[in-house]
Amino acid sequence: MTKRIYAAALAVSMVAVAHGATAAEAQRPDPKVPLAADHPRPAPNEIVSVPAAAPGVFSARKEKGGTRLVVKGRKFTSRAAIENYLAYRAAEEIIAQDGEWFMFVESRQPGDGAPALTVDAQLRSFSFRMPNFRPVWRYKTVGSGDWQTWSPFSGAAFFGNGIDPATVAEYEVTATIVPGKGLMNGRDPLAFHAIAVSDFLVNQVAPPQ
Amino acid sequence: MKQAFLAGSIVAALGLLSPAAQAVPWERGFVISDYVFGFHYGGRPDFIKEGRIEPGIDCPTGSTKNFTYDDGSFYEAFKLQPWRTEEEIKLIMDPPGTDVNNYLMIRSWVNRRAMGYRGYAKGIGTYVNPFAAADPGQPEVTGIISEGFDLDNNPETGGFTSPDGQKGIDNALYRAWGCARPYRGETATLNKRATSQMLEGLYTAVIRLRGVQDPMNDSDVTLEIGYSPDKIQKDVNAGVARNYSYRLFNGTMYSKVKATIKNGVVETEIVDVLHAPTYGWFANQIVDGAFHKGRIRFTIDAKGAIAGHIGGYRDWRDVYAANTFGQDGAQQDNREHKDSVALYHALIRHADGLRDPQTRRKMGISTAYRFSAVPAQIVEPLTPITVEWPGNRQNDVESGKIIRAAFVKAIWTRAIQELPWQTGEAVYPGLERVIFDLPNGVDLWKMLDRPRNPNEPDWYKEWAEQKEAEKKGIVLRRRGFDDSSRTATGNGTN
Repeated sequence: MTKRIYAAALAVSMVAVAHGATAAEAQRPDPKVPLAADHPRPAPNEIVSVPAAAPGVFSARKEKGGTRLVVKGRKFTSRAAIENYLAYRAAEEIIAQDGEWFMFVESRQPGDGAPALTVDAQLRSFSFRMPNFRPVWRYKTVGSGDWQTWSPFSGAAFFGNGIDPATVAEYEVTATIVPGKGLMNGRDPLAFHAIAVSDFLVNQVAPPQ
Repeated sequence: MKQAFLAGSIVAALGLLSPAAQAVPWERGFVISDYVFGFHYGGRPDFIKEGRIEPGIDCPTGSTKNFTYDDGSFYEAFKLQPWRTEEEIKLIMDPPGTDVNNYLMIRSWVNRRAMGYRGYAKGIGTYVNPFAAADPGQPEVTGIISEGFDLDNNPETGGFTSPDGQKGIDNALYRAWGCARPYRGETATLNKRATSQMLEGLYTAVIRLRGVQDPMNDSDVTLEIGYSPDKIQKDVNAGVARNYSYRLFNGTMYSKVKATIKNGVVETEIVDVLHAPTYGWFANQIVDGAFHKGRIRFTIDAKGAIAGHIGGYRDWRDVYAANTFGQDGAQQDNREHKDSVALYHALIRHADGLRDPQTRRKMGISTAYRFSAVPAQIVEPLTPITVEWPGNRQNDVESGKIIRAAFVKAIWTRAIQELPWQTGEAVYPGLERVIFDLPNGVDLWKMLDRPRNPNEPDWYKEWAEQKEAEKKGIVLRRRGFDDSSRTATGNGTN
């Protein structure tokens, strides 16, 4: 039935075209679903960003073996808040360099007790696994002039030495990263995709003080 | 004058014998009968392990099986939210009340509400704001054979070789998503669903070739591809019937490009953007594919049918939106055993084209779609036509527009977007219909709570009134419990 109808329609359409009708004239408005690119770009002030840190809070220095990142502060908030800020800055540093990802360099020392990371048993790839971003800390407490250190690889608990975090008067958190470009090996537990990390953390972090 | 006429006649006669004069305009039409991602399956066809997770050279650990009860995948997904306690996860996975009518259905609603809120903090809608969720991880294709094209004309990139030996195939979407269960192998549930929906009339895609030499060898061919509002005609075997007629809609899903044919292999020119329908199983997924550096290649077989690929770089946001927002993300992930958050992160990692000059982000991912088609008559419309969705599918489209807009804004701005209440993405109020049937329903509902719609009623009160009425044999029609409570219902049946 349809075949017959459109066989006839074809013949009529040929006549119609011959009389000057065009296919374009036989179109009604397209009720399209807009594609992503059809949506307007946001104004700059609509894009979420993290306020700039005060001078001296963050530093990045290229060294043999990677880029050494340091966050310094005097007001301890929480380990997660400060380490997340460092991770965010690491991601932004990579993006600014036109890189795409970075490898976190673990600062393991002989005798450290923390187990080594292994590849996911299901061979999954990840954009990031934040628990594997483990910078090293050093800090001074109120009334003490000596730096104390804490390594996440030591096996000791964070502030497991009995020190009250509220007494921390100054701290430095340090991480070394190696930038990368191109396809990231997401199976590597120490690989972090810069854009994914930045987007994940941008609403969560603030510059330490 | 006479001499001139004779000379002209001789020239004309010679002209008739020349190849150019032998040229006869020809036309061939096709209606697409099968249309899916061009993912090369590397499993053994004879390997059966519960029919769904077979490993292969493409995916050594087989297909994904997210959100299944027997392997801890629910727990893994919920464990990533630091704000959930172990006790809460246990309640979500196994809410008390197994003797309640429709327990499994209610549990599914509970699971889905939790799946829909997996951000770094409570109340963040997962699927509209996927960047705000920790990456659950996605296995990638490790095989080296892929369907598709060398989109960047560089055999050193892409990392894949085509089945016929061409190096440098760029199909990053395959590497990223090729192990996802609903798109992999013979049991690719969403591929099957899409094909089924297409054959049942959700949409029709057609191709028309016009040449001047020989339909199997022609250096000057015009190829058109686009949407047709005419439903596919099936044959007695439920396949696609041959030689029926379809009108071609010259809308946003339409392209007209140059092509060549050599020994039955049709290859188009490479165009900046190739507009063509994409495939899907809900109306809001049938959109312009907008294949950048787009091209089409297919082979004409002895019976006149064709099979091949459409390829190019697609905006990964459109790919994500189609995969996620056909229904609400949680419903689809739960049913298909995939995790759209993991698939989002895989897209981010594998994006390999369309670099945005302002943000310097790659917004494109290389891909190829595989299709086959049978002969058809492609005709011009006589009366005005447009894209037409069967039944109430327009609701799907309206819902899809709203959700996509929220998602795109989230990605552009990185600002957490609220879930549009008039869509199903909030997994609301479907859960509210049933959760109070559970013995600890009120507590569980509060634990699962999400940002409140300022206009929503007191759900528990309405549920209690309903129960009381039911005891008297009265059925109340409750506010918000029917589809008319939304301006756009669409994606799903929440």
